[in-house]
Amino acid sequence: MKTFKIVSIIGFIGFATISCSPERAAIVQGKSGVQLWSETCMRCHNTPSPADFNDADWSTIEMHMRVRANLTADESKKIFDFLRSAN
Amino acid sequence: MKRIILPILAMFFVGNIIAQQDLKPSKTQFMIRGYGSAGFQSLNDEGEKESSFNSGTFAPIMLFKFSDKFMFETEMEFAYENGELETALEYADVMYILNDYMTIRAGKFLLPFGTFMERLHPSWINKLSSVPLGFGHDGIVPSSGVGVELRGTFTVSGSKFNYAVYSTNGPKLNDGSMDPDEAGILHFDNYEDNNKNKSLGGRIGYLPFTDSSTEIGFSFLNSKVGNTESDYEKIGAKLIAYDFSFIKKVNPLAGIIDIKAQYNKSLVDDAEYFEPLDGGGFEEYTFNNTSNSFYAQLSYKPTMSASNFLKNIELVGRYSELNTPEGAEWESNVKQTAFGINYWLSWRSALKVNYQITDGTGGHGGGGIDKKLFTIQWAFGI
Repeated sequence: MKTFKIVSIIGFIGFATISCSPERAAIVQGKSGVQLWSETCMRCHNTPSPADFNDADWSTIEMHMRVRANLTADESKKIFDFLRSAN
Repeated sequence: MKRIILPILAMFFVGNIIAQQDLKPSKTQFMIRGYGSAGFQSLNDEGEKESSFNSGTFAPIMLFKFSDKFMFETEMEFAYENGELETALEYADVMYILNDYMTIRAGKFLLPFGTFMERLHPSWINKLSSVPLGFGHDGIVPSSGVGVELRGTFTVSGSKFNYAVYSTNGPKLNDGSMDPDEAGILHFDNYEDNNKNKSLGGRIGYLPFTDSSTEIGFSFLNSKVGNTESDYEKIGAKLIAYDFSFIKKVNPLAGIIDIKAQYNKSLVDDAEYFEPLDGGGFEEYTFNNTSNSFYAQLSYKPTMSASNFLKNIELVGRYSELNTPEGAEWESNVKQTAFGINYWLSWRSALKVNYQITDGTGGHGGGGIDKKLFTIQWAFGI
């Protein structure tokens, strides 16, 4: 069990190190709201239709989902700016 | 309690309708969301058959946004069971966004212990009409707690991490004094603390890929669980969970593949319990109080199909198991396999047709378990 834990921790740190790079950071920073909407919402549920709520409602949902779904501040702003612009 | 809750709920609905007539958004915003379900089930329990329509549940979620940083959220559950309206407070917490990386919550909140109970259990999100073994009633996994939590998300060179650290009243140990058959079980509805110790728990999640398709997580919860000034005061419990999620649109398969899995383990310190004897008196016994549960779920939705009917179909399969301590009165080794075909009427409403086989040994009744359950559920989010 101890060996498993040590291998898991080393593997995790190694994988995390390899998967972090400036190029990948630029990809994430460059994502649009519609891209993030299509990728992020479906991690738990189907992607919502922008037309189902008005701007004020999306603002309320934004705060609820930012915390519940562990969205970064940047992701949250881009996704809900898109939903408010497309409803 | 119901006489108070129902009129308040009615006032919220009326208030919301009136508020929506004024189209200018106010700084303070209020919104009702939630979910519900209705359905039919047919159960074959070791040859004994029964079937029934059920009214399902209705769970309104109320969101009060006071500013861009400050919100109160609450969810209640209403279900009609055994001729009575059952009510429950799922969560009620206040949260404040301290900065881009930290949010603090206080009150009763869903615990980030793994991902199923916090993110996936609502009926319009859960792809099957039941929860996996180990969750819910008689489960070994906490769903909510009363306390305070700090959580947040940050990116490191293209990878995303999320974290949560919390302190709650923690689980409480059933020492068997009231119900000897449940001696050694942890109860998670500890809304008034049974001891002076507070639990410490948390979760770290890691999303290695830029498309957020994959997440792995580790959760823990440590607490003293015995009643104050009892022989069990120093008994502690350690709970851990590993969770995994992968969801991606796969072009060769013309659809979305969704994999979810979670492994849970509960370790409670050894203690002496007492079993009442038929002729009077008690027999002392102990056991290694370790339980574990696991589930893995795979679903496929052919969203790129040319057919409007097919693209709304979803196929789901789930395996789960629950193993509770050998030597306990509630010892069990249960396995469950569930299959489902869902038809999505909209992004938040599904008609689920499920078949579930549960078999194993133990449980409250002892002996064998052999259940086959067929369900039809119409679930919707609002």
